[in-house]
Amino acid sequence: MLPVFKNIISRKTTEDISLHDPEFEAVGGDLKAAIDARMRRSLAIRELDSGSDNATEIEINLLSSPHYDVERFGISFVASPRHADLLLVTGAVTRNMEVAVKKTYEAMPAPKYVIAVGDDACDGGIYRGTYAVLGGVDAVLPVDLKIPGNPPEPIDILRGILALMTR
Amino acid sequence: MMEGEMFAEIGALKSDATLELVRPGEIYVRIAPDEIVPFCRSAAERGFELVDLTCVEGFDREGRASLLYCMEKWGIRETLTLVCTLDGGSAPSVDCIFSSASWYERKIRDLFGVDFPDAFDKRRLVLHECYPEGFHPLKKSVPNQPFSPRTAIPPEDEYQFMPVEGEGVYQVPVGPVHAGIIEPGHFRFSVIGETIVNLEVRMFYKHRGIEKLAEGKKPEECVAVAEAISGDESVANALGFSLAIEKIAGITVPDRAEYLRMIYAELERIHSHLGDMAGMLVDVAYPVGATRFTVLREEIFRLNRDLTGSRFMRGAVRIGGVGSDLSHDQIRSLSCFLPDAQERFRDSLKVVLASPTVIDRFATTGVIEPRFIRPLHLTGPTARASGASRDVRRDHPYGAYADVSLPMRMLTSGDVLARFSLKASEVMDSLLMIRACIENLPDGPVITKDSGVPDGYARGIVESARGQNVHHVRVRDGRIDRYSVRTASFCNWQAIQHAVMGNIVADFPVINKSLNLSYAGTDL
Repeated sequence: MLPVFKNIISRKTTEDISLHDPEFEAVGGDLKAAIDARMRRSLAIRELDSGSDNATEIEINLLSSPHYDVERFGISFVASPRHADLLLVTGAVTRNMEVAVKKTYEAMPAPKYVIAVGDDACDGGIYRGTYAVLGGVDAVLPVDLKIPGNPPEPIDILRGILALMTR
Repeated sequence: MMEGEMFAEIGALKSDATLELVRPGEIYVRIAPDEIVPFCRSAAERGFELVDLTCVEGFDREGRASLLYCMEKWGIRETLTLVCTLDGGSAPSVDCIFSSASWYERKIRDLFGVDFPDAFDKRRLVLHECYPEGFHPLKKSVPNQPFSPRTAIPPEDEYQFMPVEGEGVYQVPVGPVHAGIIEPGHFRFSVIGETIVNLEVRMFYKHRGIEKLAEGKKPEECVAVAEAISGDESVANALGFSLAIEKIAGITVPDRAEYLRMIYAELERIHSHLGDMAGMLVDVAYPVGATRFTVLREEIFRLNRDLTGSRFMRGAVRIGGVGSDLSHDQIRSLSCFLPDAQERFRDSLKVVLASPTVIDRFATTGVIEPRFIRPLHLTGPTARASGASRDVRRDHPYGAYADVSLPMRMLTSGDVLARFSLKASEVMDSLLMIRACIENLPDGPVITKDSGVPDGYARGIVESARGQNVHHVRVRDGRIDRYSVRTASFCNWQAIQHAVMGNIVADFPVINKSLNLSYAGTDL
């Protein structure tokens, strides 16, 4: 009993890690203002891998890690396209994913946005014109914005979302 | 002496076999199609495992397909490759001898049109329904360009999952698009209540034609293709590809470059293992523990960028060496980072392993029994956590790994806890190895310029964070003629179907994460 009581009254310690990245914080601040104004304070994102090499997924995942923690700016990554305002698509669209990509997009409520993340998603990248892919995301879906990079770094992805929210 | 051992083994298998020692460590035996099954059966009885099965057109004779069965036996450094040139378009199946052969044969059927009439599973694997019947993209006669897909798929051509029936059995279809930020694949669970009684995995949604993409490219252009196999294995795959080319061209990599390659490869192993460990903790609802590993992982990504210009160290490995040398300042910042990272990692681990909720969820969950290791050819941490002491870095050392003593980590319980603990000790080992590398870093150039790559065929085998990756490369007229890749995930994926049996659906995510399977690296 005593340890539980002690735990309740004790001061909670948090670790301070040096995460000061002024450039990222500035982009995040602008993004928060844009999301507040345009999306009534929350932007729900669904990530869709249409044939990437998984590096872009890692970078998008890291946006929620302590160094970036983009939830502060009004962004949440959601489990279903039915809850999403924005679809982040990574990778060239493979033949085998074509149906799933279209169905995911169709499941989103309108109005909806699509961002292609990474070189392969932008225009097919190294796979352009080959048998296994249809091309970039715009071969299948209406794309609002493209973020190049192999893979783009977390700050590049955030900048892309900001560009979409401020135009 | 070592070579003698493999010669003796082959002699026992087939007394009239003609051996070709293509280069140290690689022994080839030509074999007729009707000899495959008896040879493989005796090989399996003598403890051989099927490392890889691939197909090459024009290997022996123009326009003919050859099947290459690559085998190894634990304790022998050499690999044995059976080369079987087919007269027609079919070959006998060895799926009843080596369980792992089933996926290879289905893949070869899809991509090359070689039939295996007596195979127990003849469904498509890599090419889904949208690909027309008779389309086999890896044939030399098929150009690498868009084709007309099938839009109307006849019901009999739709993918049939294995039927699982009985009172109270129902199916849970999951994917290809999952709830988290992960890669696509389909899982078909058959459950009774919460307990999984069967799992069938359907992959290859991300088939992007990597192997065909490489064909016709110059070797140096192809390093980027190797890096695109799986983002978090960029170094391992660039290295595997480069090793194969260096063997063909007879390039000696400078010592300093070998050490730098090892530093990069171990950094990659660390960030991959840290990601798994964090993921496993998130999947058992312990984000406090996960966060510490995520922070460390992000720091390593930043370090990677400082050292090589890329967070995933893309472009770091080149044929003949590495892309650029490290400066004194870069090496100093790396050596300052390591002891600190080591201490923080150890502290974080202590916190996690002291949590009863974590241990309760990890222990006895997702057990991979040792009996699956050889038939499925499981490698990497997955195998080492289930009682198999195998590691390419030690069994078939390459580069600077021949100079270091690598502690052999092995656990026997085969559950999620074993895989977590094993990865934790490998992170510590890798940190120490990098420190040792820095201390002994030789001076000198970091790249040997090649003066053209002659025609030839070679194989590069490396230990990625996930296990053994095999790269076959054939060069003709200075261009890549065939590039065949088999990542550890391709084999290890098949183990998850056994690991989840008897577990509850809610434990599937943590079991999946503990195996850390790459979808991109499997689907190619």
